[in-house]
Amino acid sequence: MAGRAESTAVAAGRRGAQILARRTRRRNDRRHNLAGYMFIAPWLIGFFVFTVAPMAASLYLAFTDYDILSTVPRWVGLANFQQMFLRDPRYWKSVQATFYYVMIAVPMRLAFALLVAMLLNTYRRGVSVYRAIYYAPSVVGGSVAVAVMWRQIFGTEGMLNALTRLVGMAPITWLGDPRTAIWTLIALAVWQFGSPMLIFLTGLRQIPSELYEAASIDGAGGADKFFKITLPMLSPVILFNLVMQVISGFMVFTQAFIVTGGAPLDTTLFYALYLYRRGFANFQMGYASAMAWVLLLVVAFFTALVFKSSSYWVFYEAKEEV
Amino acid sequence: MSQAFALSRRKRQRTFARSLLYHAVVAAIGFGMIYPLLWLFASSFKSTSEIWTDIYSLLPRHFTLTNYINGWAGFGGISFSVFYRNSFLYAGLGTIFVVLTSAVVAYGFGRIRFVGRGFWFACMLMTLMLPQQVTIIPQYIVFSKLDMLNTFYPLLLPRLCGQAFFIFMIMQFIRGIPKELDEAAEIDGCGKAGIFFRIILPLIQPALITAAIFSFYWSWEDFLAPLIYLNSPILYTISLALRTYADPTGSSDWGAIFAMSGLSLVPVFIVFVAFQKYLVEGIATTGLKG
Amino acid sequence: MNRNRWPIVLSVVLVLSLALSACAPAATPTPQPKPTTAAAQPTSAPAQPTTAPAPTQAQQPVELRIVWWGSQDRHDRTIKAINLYMQQHPNVKITYEFVSWADYWTKLATQAAGNNLPDIMQQDYAYIVEYTNRNLILPLDDYVKDGTINLNDTTPAEVNGGRVNGKLVAINLGSNSQCWVIDVDAFNKAGVPIPANDWTWADMERTAMQLHEKLGIYGMGAGLWDEQIWGSLYLSNGEWRYNADGTGIGYASDQPYVDHLKMLLRLQKAGAIVPRAEDVANYFGKSVEAQAIVSRKAAMGYIMSNQIVAVQKAAGEDRNLKLLPLPRLTGGKSANYIKPSQFWSIATTSKHPKEAAQFIDWFTNSIEANQILGAERGVPISSKVRDALKPTLSKAQAEMFDYVAQVSKTAQPIPPADPPGHSDIVGNVLYSEVADPVAYGQITPEQGAAIMRQEVNTILAKNKK
Repeated sequence: MAGRAESTAVAAGRRGAQILARRTRRRNDRRHNLAGYMFIAPWLIGFFVFTVAPMAASLYLAFTDYDILSTVPRWVGLANFQQMFLRDPRYWKSVQATFYYVMIAVPMRLAFALLVAMLLNTYRRGVSVYRAIYYAPSVVGGSVAVAVMWRQIFGTEGMLNALTRLVGMAPITWLGDPRTAIWTLIALAVWQFGSPMLIFLTGLRQIPSELYEAASIDGAGGADKFFKITLPMLSPVILFNLVMQVISGFMVFTQAFIVTGGAPLDTTLFYALYLYRRGFANFQMGYASAMAWVLLLVVAFFTALVFKSSSYWVFYEAKEEV
Repeated sequence: MSQAFALSRRKRQRTFARSLLYHAVVAAIGFGMIYPLLWLFASSFKSTSEIWTDIYSLLPRHFTLTNYINGWAGFGGISFSVFYRNSFLYAGLGTIFVVLTSAVVAYGFGRIRFVGRGFWFACMLMTLMLPQQVTIIPQYIVFSKLDMLNTFYPLLLPRLCGQAFFIFMIMQFIRGIPKELDEAAEIDGCGKAGIFFRIILPLIQPALITAAIFSFYWSWEDFLAPLIYLNSPILYTISLALRTYADPTGSSDWGAIFAMSGLSLVPVFIVFVAFQKYLVEGIATTGLKG
Repeated sequence: MNRNRWPIVLSVVLVLSLALSACAPAATPTPQPKPTTAAAQPTSAPAQPTTAPAPTQAQQPVELRIVWWGSQDRHDRTIKAINLYMQQHPNVKITYEFVSWADYWTKLATQAAGNNLPDIMQQDYAYIVEYTNRNLILPLDDYVKDGTINLNDTTPAEVNGGRVNGKLVAINLGSNSQCWVIDVDAFNKAGVPIPANDWTWADMERTAMQLHEKLGIYGMGAGLWDEQIWGSLYLSNGEWRYNADGTGIGYASDQPYVDHLKMLLRLQKAGAIVPRAEDVANYFGKSVEAQAIVSRKAAMGYIMSNQIVAVQKAAGEDRNLKLLPLPRLTGGKSANYIKPSQFWSIATTSKHPKEAAQFIDWFTNSIEANQILGAERGVPISSKVRDALKPTLSKAQAEMFDYVAQVSKTAQPIPPADPPGHSDIVGNVLYSEVADPVAYGQITPEQGAAIMRQEVNTILAKNKK
């Protein structure tokens, strides 16, 4: 007797708990909305005040002829796009240069960054010195000094040619030869791998050492540990670095601006540099805006691709979707 | 006993050899990495004519400090210390603002389910994809209407709203923290804010520090925004001042430019070295075991 | 750090930053002139030696904004001059801005877009048409007529460079002309005679080859592919690169340009001229001191006359450098014209155009001012100023003055200012589609010249009314 009453009571209790849980969940969901928006409020405000208007303005300008100096842009519809795609050989050269750069510099940079991050992820003596040394080039960034330095190294009388002379080769005009100029910029990008390296390092540090210890006990070797522990645990960070490097790769500007100026023969005329020239040097900001929005679409496309693929290889400890 | 001793000696030798190899490789690559910077510093101690004639040597033949003296004097009566101060203002304040707000926003995007989250996240990523060169004029007009030109406001205010790069980066780190910690705190009665301050924030220290390092040196070397928004030379940051130094139409004092560039790297380096200690410690999610 | 300390740290940081940001705006108001010359000093020189109509100026305070480009040297000199002006005119406060050439037009254009142009701005021949057409700079003829800007000591040749559509919109800050700089010692060593002033391109080619053979260095430096040279080729014939109303190409025959390109290719092949690849590799972003002649890698160089000062300084005072006019076409006239190196213009949005004009007048005519400025922008247009400066000139400056004086005797009248679209042509056509492909051997000179003609006509066709 008591058992049945008990079980009914339990059943009633369980049902009550379910109803309570559902109600609480709904309340929790609502609370989550408010909490969510409160947390992202700083960004949202900034987005509306500082970003949306300029972005919308530039979208509008893409369909106009705007030379900055006149106050009123002139509507021209699709003329900018037509000129860009059909009648501007330099446009396609800039697309080519940029794609070439992204395809080569981005993977190289990430590979080096990961490699060096792993090398430096130790407690050996002096590792903090090495870390500083490897990060140092990135600190130099896009200053005037970097440009001079880089042109010095790759110049006809520069260090690199000193090395080639040592081995008996003729000096190469790295910066003046259309075949090699872009490699000086790729080298610059790879030299400054400090940023993704630092992020990888931070990610590596977050991998609990217990995992490695447990794996060792289970008899796992170095390669196993790398592929079964390091890579998966690092995958959110890899995703981040990949996305950011792809985006910044497409928008590469400063290095070409200060080191080569797009020369020679436009082999280093990156998209963003050409866009800048068109906008500010040629007083064709409408055209530049059109170029910018095409770039945005292309970059968004590739970024979406990366994100879509991420569900296959990114492992989140917190088991959530993007 | 002697056998054990012999074994351990071999092991020690092996570890020593490994260590030597490690240091040899890493140091060699490190030297190659840093050579251009060494050249920069070395050149700053050479006289301008020697820089271009005696290119390869890392040791100046006539060691001179005139470049530093000339460079520090700045130009137009404004010494470099002013430029330093301005750069510190921009980079320092900007970093504090952006890292804190980015962490807050990152938590929102990374940990809280809410309506429209995916949409706003996509918007945020999109802001990264439009080159600054085409938004800068409309932004300039916005700030011009707000009467904020020739001040640091246009440079610092946007920093109060987080920055997409850091938001995304910190998000990814937050995702690496197991949800069980959150749930444990929730059971203890913590609200979302509590979870953020008590659980998440301490655990993402390395990410915050990384963000701080990046933000600092990006602000330090940014020149487009200072060029547009800062009119009076007395407000110029170092990046802008150095560009003003190197004018192709007249003669430029390259020795001074190198000297000042070198000096301008020092604070960033110090920031990096000071903070990387925290990166080393890292965190273990040992909270799980407890 | 202990996790309990974070909220405290955060709040401290937040408070600190709020406090600091409250201080920050205090650092940003328009700066006072540097303490060395207090603007509030009671002036003891109301009797200006040069500007005539000044005495009637009202004593209410006037603020002017001025912007220029240049190098350190120019910044220092100009600021000193401005401080002197403020000392002499205590009711005028001038705030100044300056950047390097590379960033100047970006900054100026942005300010124009934001309706924020400074009262006085440095202008360039390549841009005054664009700015005038958009009504951004003020015609100054009235100020000349009523004497606010005194141009009595100048010649029309020096002034008319600042005219667009007949109106004077910009005041010449220093006359310049293109020139060849030659290393006299190198010539002597090679036993090559110094060319005459009316030398031709054929002479130039022969000289460069001889210098190369005798000395093993480059006969000639870089820069001969640029648009100024392209224009000067035709000036020698009495034509110009563009036609008079800026709607299309200005010369009848492509042949001079084709010959020129062919000559450059011959010189390049023989090693007598800095190759285009090296030009690109070594000289981008560097200043004049990177010229090959400075480091004795070449015996000749191509510069603007006001750059001789920087070149001499970089090369060393002991070097024997001389200026020659541009080579001309065989059977042609002088290929030189007197070009204003830069101008001052006044923004149409300026609230104090008259005071701005007074400053410009002072800048042009005051001997004190020009002694400070040191003719760094070019040869001053006022003959009184030139005479006053003569005794104090350095070797290079004297060479510059003499050169400009001598060239003016035979120079052609200044060609019309570059039409809108010029920057497009130089930026997107001249080097990318014509000069570099020819230099790298991708297309023939004939093809290059044809592309040039076609593209110029297409781009400038937009100017047809």
